[in-house]
Amino acid sequence: MSLKYRILCILALIGASVWALFPRTVVERVKRNGEFVYDTVRRVPLKRGLDLQGGMHLALEVDESKGAVPDKSKAIDNALKVVRNRIDEFGVSEPLVQKAGNDRIIVELPGIDDPRRAQDVVQKSAFLEFQITDKTQALEKALPRLDALLKDKKVAAAVTTPGAKKDTTASAAGLQSLFTADTSKKADSAKTDSAAAVGTVGGPGAFSKLVQQGQMPGEYVVAQPDVGTVTQYLTMPDVIAALPPGKVLRWSSDTVSLGGRTYKAFYVLDAKPIITGEFLTNAKPNTSPTEGNLVEFTMSNEGARRFRTETGRHIKDYMAIVLDQKVMGQPPVIQGAIGARGQITMGGKDLQAAQDLALVLRAGSLPVPLKVVEVRQIGASLGQDSIHKGITAGVIAIALVVVIMLGYYRFSGALAVGALVLYILYTLAALAGFQAVLTLPGLAGFVLSIGIAVDANVLIFERIREELAHGKTVRTAIDEGFRHAMSAIVDSNVSTALTAAVLYQYGTGPVRGFAVTLLAGIAASMITSIFVVRTFYMLWLNRSRDAQQSLSI
Amino acid sequence: MLRILHDTNYDFIRWWKVMAAITIAFILLGLGSLAIKPPNYSIEFTGGTLMQLEFTQPPDVGVIRQTLDDAAIHGAEIQQFGTNREFTVRAQDPSAVSAQSKGAESIAVTIERVLKTKFGENNLKVMRTEAVGPRVGQELRRGAIIAILLSFLITLVYLSIRFEWRFATAAVIATSHDVFTTIAFLKLMHLEISLTVVAGLLTVLGYSLNDTIIIFDRVRENLRKGRKETLYETLNRSINETLPRSILTHATVLAATLSLLFFAGEVIRPFAWVMAFGIITGTFSSIYVAAPVLLWIERKWPRKTGARQASSTATPTSRTRPSPATATR
Repeated sequence: MSLKYRILCILALIGASVWALFPRTVVERVKRNGEFVYDTVRRVPLKRGLDLQGGMHLALEVDESKGAVPDKSKAIDNALKVVRNRIDEFGVSEPLVQKAGNDRIIVELPGIDDPRRAQDVVQKSAFLEFQITDKTQALEKALPRLDALLKDKKVAAAVTTPGAKKDTTASAAGLQSLFTADTSKKADSAKTDSAAAVGTVGGPGAFSKLVQQGQMPGEYVVAQPDVGTVTQYLTMPDVIAALPPGKVLRWSSDTVSLGGRTYKAFYVLDAKPIITGEFLTNAKPNTSPTEGNLVEFTMSNEGARRFRTETGRHIKDYMAIVLDQKVMGQPPVIQGAIGARGQITMGGKDLQAAQDLALVLRAGSLPVPLKVVEVRQIGASLGQDSIHKGITAGVIAIALVVVIMLGYYRFSGALAVGALVLYILYTLAALAGFQAVLTLPGLAGFVLSIGIAVDANVLIFERIREELAHGKTVRTAIDEGFRHAMSAIVDSNVSTALTAAVLYQYGTGPVRGFAVTLLAGIAASMITSIFVVRTFYMLWLNRSRDAQQSLSI
Repeated sequence: MLRILHDTNYDFIRWWKVMAAITIAFILLGLGSLAIKPPNYSIEFTGGTLMQLEFTQPPDVGVIRQTLDDAAIHGAEIQQFGTNREFTVRAQDPSAVSAQSKGAESIAVTIERVLKTKFGENNLKVMRTEAVGPRVGQELRRGAIIAILLSFLITLVYLSIRFEWRFATAAVIATSHDVFTTIAFLKLMHLEISLTVVAGLLTVLGYSLNDTIIIFDRVRENLRKGRKETLYETLNRSINETLPRSILTHATVLAATLSLLFFAGEVIRPFAWVMAFGIITGTFSSIYVAAPVLLWIERKWPRKTGARQASSTATPTSRTRPSPATATR
């Protein structure tokens, strides 16, 4: 290849690299004051990994603790769509939601500042059901049976203390006014009460004495300290079998306080829901002066038709809105047929909770429960700190390498330093061009590669020195030096590249970033140390006649 | 012209028995210490929770420990990380790990809650959380072992094609030696074995292999020149001839490694340590493992007459472009 084409090649590569690295305007979706807006930023198009920009990495699997899932791969596929919808609405710039292997979902959320909330949005099942409360007093009829069953049972975790009896004998009068009481400031008293978690175990009326009839059909309340005991009772297989058939028990999502005591309600509901959330077309948060924060939802035409028919059939009944097996708010009485619209009250939770609920309802429910198998969460400031330190180390490494090369090889060393500058440019451009993710180990790998990159030049220069020592002319020595060093350079670089490829295949996250950096570095190092330095020599040989006589190497 | 160790004629290989004794002693020391106490695996491999916390005031480590113990998180390791306001909490106890099989985040949530209750909501910040369930940890460990073995296999195949099986075997044995010395080094330095460290180990293997290949490339070339000398002499000559290159390259790589070690921060430090050791063990094994093993293989399975010519035909570059330098001599 003639000198002219060589220079053109190098210039073209420089041009392409600068173009690849030139700061450009990127459209990002960001959340501002609770609203999603598109915003434009100018930045260098180098993708930073989560460990450098801060953010959250989640790995999720199907949770089989509540029953086996037959086709996990299909379930994950369906869950993936839902999670992706939710994350899109959550408003993170450049999120990643993908399937890993057969049964895992990876979610990466760069720049997340509230990991707990993000995780809730991903993990919440958001399975919405509308169920009519039982009006046949099915539980009352089953109570003697339950009491008899539990008479001799022991509950392992429950502790009996003198104060326990008092809790269970709440006055009926108090219960009458229980649900007319203000429910907004119950949270504080709930804490103090639950601190004395205490239950009465076994004995006559084991179950019935803990449970009080509520205000509406199918509603029962339990004093907060006894909630644990009742929950344990309700998980016993014998008890489950003895519960009224065709009915389900669901706890309320809230607690209510009365006269310094906290109660939690549960409801006996018809097992078959009159409608589920699958017909939901829209949901949005709102605040009402009387009911606090709530989520308003709209049904599809099909859903509205069913809803109207079903509610028309259940006038004067109470309808529980059940989200993920928890009854939301107090079941309202059905006054007349309800059509396309409805609302879910949040019971004192903040507006953000209402926003998040609306979001997950819009995105659809998860077909299977998911559990988190891996979390990595890195604060943005830590990532920034890592970048600073990485750059410092890089600059110092470059300075040291430059000193060594110039000190030892003089003029030829300067050519190698020129090539090193191009090496850095090309490597970064390759990373940007292939949209590789720069991670902290990747950054370390890059710094290290600066030291390794000059190896090819060292090999070539040492060969040239040998040839000069054999009395060759400068021009021949350079030719021979490059030719003889070639096999060693190729073999050593290819074997390193193979190792990097293995790392890429078997590594995860940060390590993968390391492998990519290594591969880009090897390619760039071969190009610069062989092709670019050779061209520099050719230029120099053409320019000066003295060059024929001696070479500073 | 500045020259270091130019035109030397040291008999490196003469010392191989002493060197073998030293390296075997080092490896045995490391492996013996492994037998007594297992290595420090990071939570990526064992499962568990790691949190990096930043406090507004230097906290009392005893209080942190007590608070975690009260919350039934036992055996958590608390370490200062950089400044005296930054700490890592590592819950790697089997009980903590098994608690994470239902949800990897559970322990992290508890740690954050109890510490914020104790020290005040605004007095500490969680900088980093890593929580790994037990199954993921097992998978990663298996992946790391597969990666190392696979890279060996690929190297063996590649070098067999480019050189011949004797060289390839010697190079792979030299590289395996580096795996053992590096593991011994990790153990003796009490470094934690994390994914990044495994990446470092693989980099060391690649680097050491590079070094061996550079020397073997010279051996291949010297053999082709058909001098009347034994392989022992050829090996020594090749090591001496590549000595200036080795010194220079090690210097630049060491410069990069040291700047990582001192300036790149705590997270990268174990990686930098592995790499710093790798420069030593890689150089060592190229001279004192690869060369003696090649000699031994040669004695056991000697080349037939004319095999030297055969070895040169195994290298495509030299066949297609015969070197004029060789021709003139």
